[in-house]
This record gives sequence, C-alpha cells and structure tokens, in this order.
Amino acid sequence: MSEMLEIILDTTGRMFKDYSTQELLESAEQGEWAEELWQVLAESGILHVGIAEELDGAGGDHIDAYNILRLAGKYAVPLPIAETLIAQWLLAEQGVKPSTVPLSISFENEQEFMIDDLGDRFIVNGKAVYVPWARHAKQLLTLGKLNNESVMVLLPLDKAIIEQGANLASEPRDTVIFENFEITALSCFPVNKNEMVNRVYEMGALARSAKMAGAMEQILELTVFYTNERKQFGRPLHRFQAIQHHLSALTGETVASLAALNFAIHENSTKEIALTKMKLSGAAGKIAEISHQVHGAIGVTHEHTLHHYTRRLWSWRDEFGNERYWGSKLADHLMKNNGETLWEFISAGREANLVYGGEK
Amino acid sequence: MINLDLPVVQFTREQEEFRQEVREFLAEEKKKGTFETKCDSWLSGDSPEFSKKLGEKGWIGMTWPKKYGGGERNALDRYILTEELLAAGAPVSAHWFADRQSGPLLLKFGTEEQKEYFLPRIARGDTYFAIGLSEPNSGSDLASLSIRAERTDGGWILNGSKIWSSGAHIAHYMIVLCRTSKLDPNNRHAGLSQFIADLKAPGVTIRPIKFLTGEHHFNEVFFDNVFIPDNRVIGEIGNGWKQGMTELAYERSGPERILSTFPLLEELIRILRENGDYRGMQEAVELLPQLWSMRNMSIGVAKYLDDGVDVNIIAALVKDMGTIFEKNIAEKARLIISRHPSVLSTDIYERFMAQSILHGPGFTLRGGTTEILRGIVAKGVVAG
Ligand SMILES: Cc1cc2nc3c(=O)[nH]c(=O)nc-3n(C[C@H](O)[C@H](O)[C@H](O)COP(=O)(O)OP(=O)(O)OC[C@H]3O[C@@H](n4cnc5c(N)ncnc54)[C@H](O)[C@@H]3O)c2cc1C
Repeated sequence: MSEMLEIILDTTGRMFKDYSTQELLESAEQGEWAEELWQVLAESGILHVGIAEELDGAGGDHIDAYNILRLAGKYAVPLPIAETLIAQWLLAEQGVKPSTVPLSISFENEQEFMIDDLGDRFIVNGKAVYVPWARHAKQLLTLGKLNNESVMVLLPLDKAIIEQGANLASEPRDTVIFENFEITALSCFPVNKNEMVNRVYEMGALARSAKMAGAMEQILELTVFYTNERKQFGRPLHRFQAIQHHLSALTGETVASLAALNFAIHENSTKEIALTKMKLSGAAGKIAEISHQVHGAIGVTHEHTLHHYTRRLWSWRDEFGNERYWGSKLADHLMKNNGETLWEFISAGREANLVYGGEK
Repeated sequence: MINLDLPVVQFTREQEEFRQEVREFLAEEKKKGTFETKCDSWLSGDSPEFSKKLGEKGWIGMTWPKKYGGGERNALDRYILTEELLAAGAPVSAHWFADRQSGPLLLKFGTEEQKEYFLPRIARGDTYFAIGLSEPNSGSDLASLSIRAERTDGGWILNGSKIWSSGAHIAHYMIVLCRTSKLDPNNRHAGLSQFIADLKAPGVTIRPIKFLTGEHHFNEVFFDNVFIPDNRVIGEIGNGWKQGMTELAYERSGPERILSTFPLLEELIRILRENGDYRGMQEAVELLPQLWSMRNMSIGVAKYLDDGVDVNIIAALVKDMGTIFEKNIAEKARLIISRHPSVLSTDIYERFMAQSILHGPGFTLRGGTTEILRGIVAKGVVAG
C-alpha cells in the first residue's frame, strides 16, 4: 500500500465512520437519501477516483477505489458509490467527463432498452429489473439496441417509471421501465454486448467483494467485542470452548477473504475475480451465521447493529454473480483448455487469464 | 450407553385419513384466502381468526381430556396435524405455545380449577400464552434468573422483567419462571416457581422489540409489583425448575424444529420440476435423506414421549440437527435456483428465500442454543 493510499484510506475511514451512523442507516432503510454524506463524498473527490486527471478525474487508480469500497462496506455506507464509480469509469473510457450525480448501472444479457431514432428525437422502450438505487440515481448506464446495434446508453431516470424493490438489507433494487419515452439527445456508444456484460460483472463482483470484506471486518470486531462483554455462567463468552471455535472460524474466514480480495484488487483479472467472488460469497453465509449464533437473541434485534452488516452479506453474495455463476466460468475454462494442468492454471500469473464460453 | 434406537412408527389407516382431512381443510382455507403460506409461520404467523377456526375443528389441545375441551386423541394424531400445518406454512403462532407447552404443563401440574378455567379456553383458540423464561442477563444460563416474587396476603408480588417473549403482545397470559426464595449458589435450581401471570393485570408493561427485519414478534415484559393470587401458582412453590424441564423434550423434538423453512423446499422442487431441471433436482434431493431421517427421529421421540419414556437427549439432538437442516435449505436452494431474495418480491420463491434467511439466525438460538444442546448430548452419552 502506498503512503498516499494509506492517508486517503485513513481520512475516508474516519469520514464514513462519522457519517454512517445507526440513525443514518435506519433512515436510509426508510427510503431517505443521505444527501449530506453524498455531498461530502462529491467534494472529497472519492466519486472520481480512478479517473485520470486530464479528464477532470481525481487520479488514483482502481486499487485505491476498491480499497475505498472496502471501507464503505465496513461502515455499511448507504449510497451507490460502487455503481457511480463503475459508471464513471465506463464513461471515461468514452471520453465523457465525470459528474457528481448519483448513477446506477444495469448490464444483463437478457435485458436491453429499444431505442428508435426518429431524426429529431429518440423513443426509448424497455425494462430493467433489480437496478441498484434507481429511485435515487439521476442516470442509468445500461445496454440498448439502436438501429439493430448494441449500444451502451446513459438514460435519465427522472421520467422513468420506477417500481420499488429491495434486497435483504433494504437497499433499493428497483425495476426501471420506459414506455415510449421521448428524448431529444442521448449519449450512446457502440459496444459488444457480451463483452460489456462480462466486464461490468467483473467490476461489480470485485466491488461487491470489497464491500463484503469490509462488512466481514466489522462483524469480526463486533463479535469479539461482544464475547468480552457478555457473561453467562459467570464468565465472558470467549471463555467457552465452543465460542472459541466460532471466533477462530470467523477470523479464519475473514482473513482468507481479505487475502483473496487483496490479490484480486492487484491482479484485476477474470480468474482472480471469479475465485474471489466465489470465496467471499461462500464465506459471507458462514460469517453471518457464526456471528449471529455468538450474539444470541440480542443480535437478531433491529436495535443492534449486527444485522446491518449480516443482511448486506446475505444480499451482496448473490449480486454480480454468486458462487454458482463464477463457478461455471471456471468450469468452462477448465473444460476447454485441454493442454493445461490444474496446477498450471492455479499457479499461473496474471497474463494467463480465463477463457470462457466462446465469447472471446 | 443411552438407548440409541427409536421406535418405528407406522401410521394407521385412520391416521392417514386424518392427514387427508387436514390437507383438504388447509387447501380449502388457502383457496378462500384465509392465509398465505409463510416460512417460520409458527413464530411469525399470528392470526386469531385462524386459531379460532382450528379450535372449532377440535385441533387445539386435541390430546387433552374431553372434560377440559380436548379431543382425547393420541400424540401421533397431533403430530400429523402439526406437521401438516407447518408444511403448509399456516398462521399458527397465536395459539402455538399454549397448545404445545402451557396447556400440557397445566394438565400435569395445574389445579382442578386451573384446568377447568384455562384448558377449554385454549382449546377454543381464543386464549394465548407466552413463555416467560429468558431475562436480559439470563439466556443460556437460565438458572441465574433474577425476577422475584415476595409472599403477601393471598398471593405473591412479582417484580422484574422477562425478555424475548414471543407473541406476548397478543397473548393473554404468560407462564413466568421466577425466584420465590433467595438464590442458593450451591443449588441454583432450587427456590424457583412457576406462575400464571395475567398480561392485562396492573403493573404489567409490554415493550415491543423489533426483529432484525423490523417486524414485531418478541417483547420485553416488565412486572412492577404485580399481584399473583395463590390460585395462579402452578404446582408446588420451589419446584418450578423441575416442572419446567419436563416440557423441554416436547419443546425441542417437534416438527417445528425441522419444517420452519419447508415451504421454500416445496417451492424449489416445484420450480425444478416445472423447468425439467434434472441436474438441479439431483442437487435438491440431497436434502431429502436429512429431512426424512430427522422426521423419523422426531416421530420416534413423539411416540416415546407418549409412552412416558425419557428422551431428553434425543430430543436435544433433534433440535440441534433439525434447526441446522432448516437453515441449510436456503443455503442450498440459493445455488440451485439463483434469484435475489426479497421480502417485497411478488415471486414466492424469492419471498420464502428472504423469510428463511432473515429468520434463520433464530432457529439455532430459540429453545436452547446449539452449543448448549451439544453440551447436553455430550454429557448424556458420556454418562450413559
Ligand atoms: C426468535 C427467538 C424467539 C425467542 N422466544 C422466546 C420466548 O418466547 N420466551 C423466552 O423465554 N425466550 C425466548 N427466546 C430466547 C432464547 O431462549 C435465548 O435466546 C436463548 O436461551 C439464548 O440466550 P441468549 O440469547 O441470551 O444468548 P446467550 O446465552 O448470551 O448466548 C450467546 C452465545 O454464547 C453461547 N453460550 C452461552 N453459554 C455457553 C456455554 N456454557 N458453553 C458454550 N456456549 C455458550 C450460546 O450458545 C450463544 O451462542 C427467543 C429467542 C429467539 C432468537
């Protein structure tokens, strides 16, 4: 970790901790938008990390960004930071300068908006489901079909029909519908659809892994603290061997998850991302289960903070591909590359990436 | 060695017919829109109307003597009814504890007056009980409880609080385990007694505690100089611990320790069948040997309990293994058919999945935690 990164993370961590309080989390769950914190993030430049300074970005690289997301997970920051960053990165590749409005993304193979070009205006029709934060985001970066060609398109959300939905942590996951929506100007960029979906899934999977890792750290801290504080049978819980086994398993899963994440953040290749998302999604369930078991009944109350993190783990493990999704990518690769031994695959450096599904 | 074999139970023709009758009733009620299937409905599905309907059918307290409003049916009939209700995810939580625990306790230790007064009301489905065991500082270590009652003219004055009392906000009474003489550090189980506390009595305050989903299932109940008349003492003063423990095997070995998330499994299988997904089905059926063997164990325990055999250790095992199985269903299902679970979803698979995951943590805590149960089992097999 560079010294610069250390300083950024230190300040960001303190900022998240100060702002992302239990009250904020609860009001976000009731549907309120954390505008004040969003403004603070906008001013701090966090929303532009990973975008070159020539493009008015904040500089820094993706390593910085994913480490910031890990902190966002550690404090359960109820804002679409990951979605906004990913959208800005994709737009920056097209030469679009970043803004500070909240953005969302939706890239699914079975989903695209139909765009008709009528010369003086466009008509948009279509639907996207499970769109993160759509009700609060200003624009949606997604896939469309224009003149029979696949495009990446930035759609304004203020006129969209939004059907509210939520994940297990009550984070917005809405359905966005456009019905004969007319607009005079649209930003469209020709893309290869499959490639785009795979790329965004990789970015999303790494972002969710980073956030899960942060939540795991928080959960471990909460649990260790509780086993000191709570006494039964005249002793603190950590004195019971059964609890010691739980603490050990919790620490082990967290450390292994962080090792996976750190590696993937640095390598940033499909193989590492696939293995990381599988590892963390698998660990998420175990960590949620153990931490709740150790906390007893107090941990399943709304008043306690534990569930803000466990419910996020239960949600994020399934977003941008769960173990099964990424497992099938690995399986495809291993089925196809006949010459390669498993050991060659495991020990290969970054240039040896996954080959899958005939899409490349 | 403890007895490891459980009896093999084969249901009679009459029992199978009874099962059909229950199924038809439930299908009919569901069609009428009386209820919507839910996971964990024995804790979170309260519907006084539905409880009354079951009462009218004679399906609450169905094993109790007729003179107290019961049906004098055997324990296996009750087992059949209970598992059908749970498999259908029917809203049974209002009367659940009264039927399972409080009624049988009164039947065993209650006075004639208590039996005559309470049992018919419970059996009609209009009087509900809450369980008053846990306290803020006494969870697993129940014997450390501190709520206490002082002797007064014609009864007792109760002071202290109970916590995690499921359904206390809709219950009429709570069976409170409390201290009636000073704690003896050498015999912590002595000096405890069981009272029937009227939850509408002066001095009782019920504070809701929100579950992690934001829903209201359990409560903290405060007793501030609450008068308990002598005729509301259960059994003997000072014998509360022993009396309470006799019910634990019933509490721990029932089908509700296996079937809390069954509606999710049923829906998973239905979708796989509909999709002709043979590979998914092969994975899903890996759950079935667990389900089947747990159910056989649970039925075996029910039979033994009916015959008066002591099965505390196997009952603890049923709860330990059964509740882990209940959690496992969602963990396996999410990889076989991957969708985004949500309590708001219009899709029942996604909804059942959300209910199963969010309620899951409670399964291995309520009614004795996994860690405590394993201690009981280990001690039991070592002692032989
Ligand atoms: C959904 C739900 C409904 C409930 N409903 C009721 C109700 O209606 N009435 C009622 O009275 N109670 C109810 N309870 C309370 C339940 O009985 C307690 O949660 C349970 O007894 C554990 O107590 P605790 O939560 O205080 O955890 P603690 O006892 O503090 O335990 C915390 C952790 O430490 C472990 N632990 C404690 N002691 C030991 C030990 N000696 N060795 C190893 N590990 C140990 C536990 O297993 C657990 O993992 C309910 C609980 C839940 C979750």
